[in-house]
Amino acid sequence: MAKEPEYIIVNIDVPRKYDWSTGKYLGKVYAEAKENKKLMGNRCPKCNQVMWYPTVVCPKCKVETGWDWVELADRGTVVQYTYLVFPLWDPHYGERWANSHPSAIIELDNGIYQRHWLEETDPEKLKEGMRVEVTWKENYDERGLGLQDVPFYRTIED
Amino acid sequence: MIGRVGIVAVAQTKYNPNRCDVNEEELAWEAIKPVLQETGLSLWDIESAVTCSQDFWDGRTISNMNVQHVVGAHLQHEDKVCEDGINAVFIAMGQILSGHHDTILVVSHMKESQGEKGAIENAAFDPAMMRQLGLDFTSSAAMQARRYMYKYGITAEQCAQAVVRNYANAKNNPFAQEARDLTIDDVLGSNTVSSPIRALDAKPISDGACAMILTTEEKAKKLSKNPVWVTGISNCYETHYLGDRDLADCDALTAAAKKAYSMAGIKNPMKQIDVLEISTEYSYQEPLWLEGLGLCARGEGGKLVDSKVITMGGKLPVNPSGGMLPGVPNGVSGLARVAECVLQLRGEAGERQVKGANTALAHGYTGICGQHQAVVVLGNS
Amino acid sequence: MANRVAIAGIGQTYHKSNRPDVNQAEMVGEAVRAALEDAQISIKDIEGMFYSNMETFEGIYLPDHGMIAETGAFGKPGFKVATGGTSGGSVVCEGFYMVSAGLYDVVMVIGFEKQDCGDTTAAITAALNPSWSKGAATGAIGEFAKQALSYMKTSGAKEEHAAMARLKADKGACRNPYAHLKLGLTSVDQVMESGYLVWPLRFLDFCPQSCGACVLILASEEKAKKITKKPVWLADVEVVHQEPFKAGTFGDPTGTETYTQHAACERLYKRNGITDVRKDIDMAEIYEPSNWEEMNLYEHLHICEKNEGWKLIEKGVTEIEGEFPVNCSGGVIATNPIGATPVIRIAEAALQIRGDAGEHQATKDIKTALASALGGPNWTTLALLRRSI
Repeated sequence: MAKEPEYIIVNIDVPRKYDWSTGKYLGKVYAEAKENKKLMGNRCPKCNQVMWYPTVVCPKCKVETGWDWVELADRGTVVQYTYLVFPLWDPHYGERWANSHPSAIIELDNGIYQRHWLEETDPEKLKEGMRVEVTWKENYDERGLGLQDVPFYRTIED
Repeated sequence: MIGRVGIVAVAQTKYNPNRCDVNEEELAWEAIKPVLQETGLSLWDIESAVTCSQDFWDGRTISNMNVQHVVGAHLQHEDKVCEDGINAVFIAMGQILSGHHDTILVVSHMKESQGEKGAIENAAFDPAMMRQLGLDFTSSAAMQARRYMYKYGITAEQCAQAVVRNYANAKNNPFAQEARDLTIDDVLGSNTVSSPIRALDAKPISDGACAMILTTEEKAKKLSKNPVWVTGISNCYETHYLGDRDLADCDALTAAAKKAYSMAGIKNPMKQIDVLEISTEYSYQEPLWLEGLGLCARGEGGKLVDSKVITMGGKLPVNPSGGMLPGVPNGVSGLARVAECVLQLRGEAGERQVKGANTALAHGYTGICGQHQAVVVLGNS
Repeated sequence: MANRVAIAGIGQTYHKSNRPDVNQAEMVGEAVRAALEDAQISIKDIEGMFYSNMETFEGIYLPDHGMIAETGAFGKPGFKVATGGTSGGSVVCEGFYMVSAGLYDVVMVIGFEKQDCGDTTAAITAALNPSWSKGAATGAIGEFAKQALSYMKTSGAKEEHAAMARLKADKGACRNPYAHLKLGLTSVDQVMESGYLVWPLRFLDFCPQSCGACVLILASEEKAKKITKKPVWLADVEVVHQEPFKAGTFGDPTGTETYTQHAACERLYKRNGITDVRKDIDMAEIYEPSNWEEMNLYEHLHICEKNEGWKLIEKGVTEIEGEFPVNCSGGVIATNPIGATPVIRIAEAALQIRGDAGEHQATKDIKTALASALGGPNWTTLALLRRSI
């Protein structure tokens, strides 16, 4: 009787490091977050929309955006949220983790849409329309990692 | 071929070993803005874009996402090429000659400073066998150099001559990363990187972008006083496993050149071509690719590189811009060669101008020991 | 005048979750041989090669270079594309343009992915802007979960409708010898019982990671008629990209954005005289990574009015025996080797037109078919196929 073939599996584990530049526009976001605990987008001179994330050319107007900066509001309303039930891979560290924090789309009070984690992990307490507020890493030395300087948006009553 | 494709504007960024001040979209925009300004077009006039980038080098899956808005791709057509940027010209031609799009923006961007060259290139080798040997493009190029030099008696001095000439030519090129006055002894005295390749035999890390606009014949005549026409173009694959071919030869390049020459009506390249811009990451590639392009017999490349024929003022100047050796990123180089040829044919090459250039050839390659080769012939009449 | 282009040969592998018996090149070689067999031509007749693959998923840089021997590309010209989910659609477009332009007469278009040798979700998350968004990412699944939420809210669709769509897909897959996931589902309840993966998407609501390849041989009119008695005409193609929506990727909760599917359809339909999709086209093979997205796509591709997609599912309009069959092959939710998937859509649509789809052949006669691809941040490619032009 023929034997089942034995497959040899060779694991190649090669980390690939990258040194990405933020560039001018995202660089300003990183700087403002670190120095001033502010998130800043830039405004397109043609359509007046605030680009979040800021960019050199407005995708819809197809013109250069320039250097007109607008601060994102601290508070907003959750438009949509979803949460992981089953663990997925963490792209930063390659480990499997179950993030209990929901990922949400938040309409900030000045009309800009933000996508980030919510602090609230109890699915019963989550609902569309809930009000949330940005939280910051308060320690200056811990900031400088861009959007990671903002750990969550926490639930508020207002 | 139905009709002709014209190149109406070209631009390059000044090549630099580390553009940490910009991200990919900002870098590409530096090359795109000038071609729009020159033609008076806006991104709204661009019907389609063909971009060239490598996911592995950008460290981003679907790396063309980095440049969508700067090529005006929002609610528009965009295609991507994962070989050297010169192949994007070929794809753009297909879109134009089939009548689907009239005005196409072609862009290639690459930031070699952001990635780990060895790890990325090692991933191109087949995982089961060659990857375990820890090869990258430099060590495999070294094997090709050694084989080529052994088979035909090409000398290290002849290869060094290519380095000296290219770095000297770079002095006349405002986009060049670096220009230097080198001697053969300088090159031969530099540290060995991967024998027989020495540090000065190999191109340095570089960041940059190149953009151009291609249109139909009718539109080209309206948009530019002197459009440059693509008269011949082809590319070709070689085998993958290094042992499957004689590395001293470059049959893929010969095949691609043959097809391109046939399209362009070129029977005697040495006579009929006025200027040549070829892509070389390593000095031995210059004599080897010149043989592949049929500019001399097999094994005579070393003599050709040593001669006055390919110098500025010679019968067929090679790389008036300095080419890739002084520092141009992979993936961008082939497209930048096309850009340089366009400038030559328009008489806009400044200090590096080859007088009376009417026919030019641009070359680019991708992969291990030039596994994929591409050739473009351009003319201005 | 541009050449007319036809599909003269079709080949695919039997798609599976694991193919330890072959390496990536050998797997693609199977599909290449199948296509040559189908067209009854030799590899010598192929003038150009076009490859589509997302190299970050397998961790193989320049994968087309690695398979020169197995795909017969030695000494031939070729190109490679990697635009995410639409890769396979873009590569067919590139082949189409080159043949249409008269630059080649017969080309081979190859889509492939061997997802058992990498981590797809990590690679998909790597598609986000590296300076920025990775922290908030949940992969493609998270984005489709948000799309499902948008869809439920705006259209009134219920989880039962998604389950019905899943059942339809499985029925098709079980009749398709090449499909990957053949679950043998028998009821809507079975689907509703499966657990949630990323709320509200259940395990069964999302496409698998498959290993597979699909190959098309495209030829100019003159050559196609010599090669095959049943050329399937690639009448037209369209590609539309976009910047990501400001509040979502595949669904737009703000209701203000333009979908690429809509833009692509407007252009393709206008150029080809299509005014009533369900009259002018006979069936569609669409790229639906989730059952919720399938209903959404019915609307965006103008197969029905806005907010009515779930009604087509409820009424069985898009079943194999239905008035407008969609994804008789089981669709993407049953089989998803990403680089190949859009090519499979076009191949399956072509098989329907040829009448060669065997057990999953649509009941009605198919003369015109639409194939779509979806990828990246909701990019679209479309192909319109006809039996005669």
